[in-house]
Order: sequence, then structure tokens, then C-alpha cells
Amino acid sequence: MEKMTEEQVKSIANMLRKRSLWMIHYCTGCGAMELPPTMTSRYDMERFGLAPYVTSRQADILLITGYLNVKTLRRVITVYEQMLDPKYVIGFGSCTLNGGVYWDSYAVIKQLDRYIPADLYIAGCMPRPEAVISAFRHLMELIDSGKADGYKRYKRNLAYYKENQRKVLG
Amino acid sequence: MMDIVDKIKGIEGAKVTVQRENRIFVDVSEDKVISTLYNMKLIGFHQLSVQNVIDRIKDNKFEIFYVLYSREYKINAIVRTWIDRENPVIKTADKIYPSAHTWEREISEMFGIKVDGNEDSGKPFILENWKDLPPMRKDFDSVKYSSEHFVFRHSEGENE
Repeated sequence: MEKMTEEQVKSIANMLRKRSLWMIHYCTGCGAMELPPTMTSRYDMERFGLAPYVTSRQADILLITGYLNVKTLRRVITVYEQMLDPKYVIGFGSCTLNGGVYWDSYAVIKQLDRYIPADLYIAGCMPRPEAVISAFRHLMELIDSGKADGYKRYKRNLAYYKENQRKVLG
Repeated sequence: MMDIVDKIKGIEGAKVTVQRENRIFVDVSEDKVISTLYNMKLIGFHQLSVQNVIDRIKDNKFEIFYVLYSREYKINAIVRTWIDRENPVIKTADKIYPSAHTWEREISEMFGIKVDGNEDSGKPFILENWKDLPPMRKDFDSVKYSSEHFVFRHSEGENE
């Protein structure tokens, strides 16, 4: 029997990886209300192999809902750096995307991907559970094709991310 | 209800307005606040629901108010006072209402009001690394601060 190439091993690993994703949801602002119907029997995300999880060390997906301010960004970065590779970040709602309705607030940071690499955004205020499920399906495709490489970008551009974090957090 | 109003009217320096049923405004001068609060507690207002500030920038004043509640009579009483915006100082009420201790920490951080007698009033409470004007003052420009400190997204894609 032929030996498998590294490419083949990776593609099998990705195929298996996308079927079993555990999610830690960091609900800093609003939006946490959309997750119970997503998790439970109404939309039932476990049929896709996704499950909510409580600790950052064992989670694969970091779902950040609602606005992020200076105080919560510090905690998000800690949670993100505690997670093990491979890890994926989803920004939920327009606040993580461009500030949303809090664009002129003195505390809200406006772009999540300046501080940690986001693989995917769900636009809208609020995104419905259908949109969340659709985002998870899209993330699975990205993982399968090897395009969800946020954790690699974080290592490659660490100086850029750390500089941005230092500017805001001091 | 009316006997309570009469009791409050007996407090020295208190100007009482009954806005509607179960809501009474008690306006006092700056130096009479603590004694008024003490007397209100004796009358039966045992709970401090909210203590906060309104920035009356047109009158160049800070309005400081204490929302008190009496479970016995089911009445809200709001004790109000006005102080100057320049070098604002108030006296602590945490000996009368212990929950005022935390409210005063928030007031001192969000409005830059010094609280005499509250040793925690100058310490950082919610904000981190704050060096600008206190953010809840009306003359604080939130849009300017936000555009200086946080980058707005102009185009699509990641800014790498």
C-alpha cells in the first residue's frame, strides 16, 4: 500500500475536524439571546456536530456576540490565546464588524479583526438563528478547503496584532 | 400619603413637591443634603434605589439626586440638590445608606465629582486607562474621542 502524502493527511484531518466543532461563546453585549434556540431543539445545531462548551482550552470556535469595549477586549484576547490550535473566530452582529449602533461610543472598539483574526462575520442586528447556522455551515466549508487559517495569520502577523492591542489597552 | 408629606415638610430647608401619587420631590440646598437624608431614613425611607447625577450644562450646575423608597408606605421620594460645575465636591452618604458607597465611586469616575469621606471615590472603577475628560459630562466629545482612539472600517477585507 502506498504511503499517504502530507496533503492527503491534512485533507482527511480537515474533513474530520469540521464534523466535530466545539464552541465557546463570549457574550459580551447583546445577542446571547439568539443562541439558546440555536443550541436547543428549535434549530438544533448538534445535528451538524456542533456543541456549546464551557472552557476555552477545549473549544474550537470562539463566537463573540455583541459590542466589544476596551474592558471586554482584554478578556477576549486572553480567552483566544488560551485556546489550542486549530481555532476559529466568528464575529456575531454588526458591532464586531464596524461598531454598529455604538460607532460613536467612547468605549467600543469598532473592528474585531484589528485585534484578533476573525475567520467569519455574521452581519446584522440581530442575526437570527438561521444566520448563525448558515455561518457555521460556511465555516465548515472553509475548514474543509483549508481557508479558515485565522490562527496561522495570528502567528504570522503577531507584531501587527500586538501593536494594535497595545494601542488600545495600554 | 399626606401625613408622610407633612412629615417631610417638617425637615429643615426642604422644598417638597408632590408630582403624582407615590412620587415626591424633595429639593434641598447643598449643605443640607446629608441631614435631609438622615431625617428621611428616620421617617421610613430605608432604601436607596439610585444615586446619580444629571449634567445641567446650561445652568452650569450638576444635579445630584437620591431616589429613596419606602416599603412601608410604597412611596418614592427623590432628594435633589444642585452644585457648581467648577471643582465639584459632594459629601458621602455611605454612613446613612451603605449602597451609596458604590454609586459614589461611579459618579466620581463618570462625572469627575470628588466625594468627601469616601476613600474609594478616586480609584478606577469601570474605565481602564482613562486620561480624558470624564465621559458622562455633556462637554465631552464622544465622536471625537472615538475617532481618535478606534479605527473606523472604510473598506472591505482585513486591514493587514
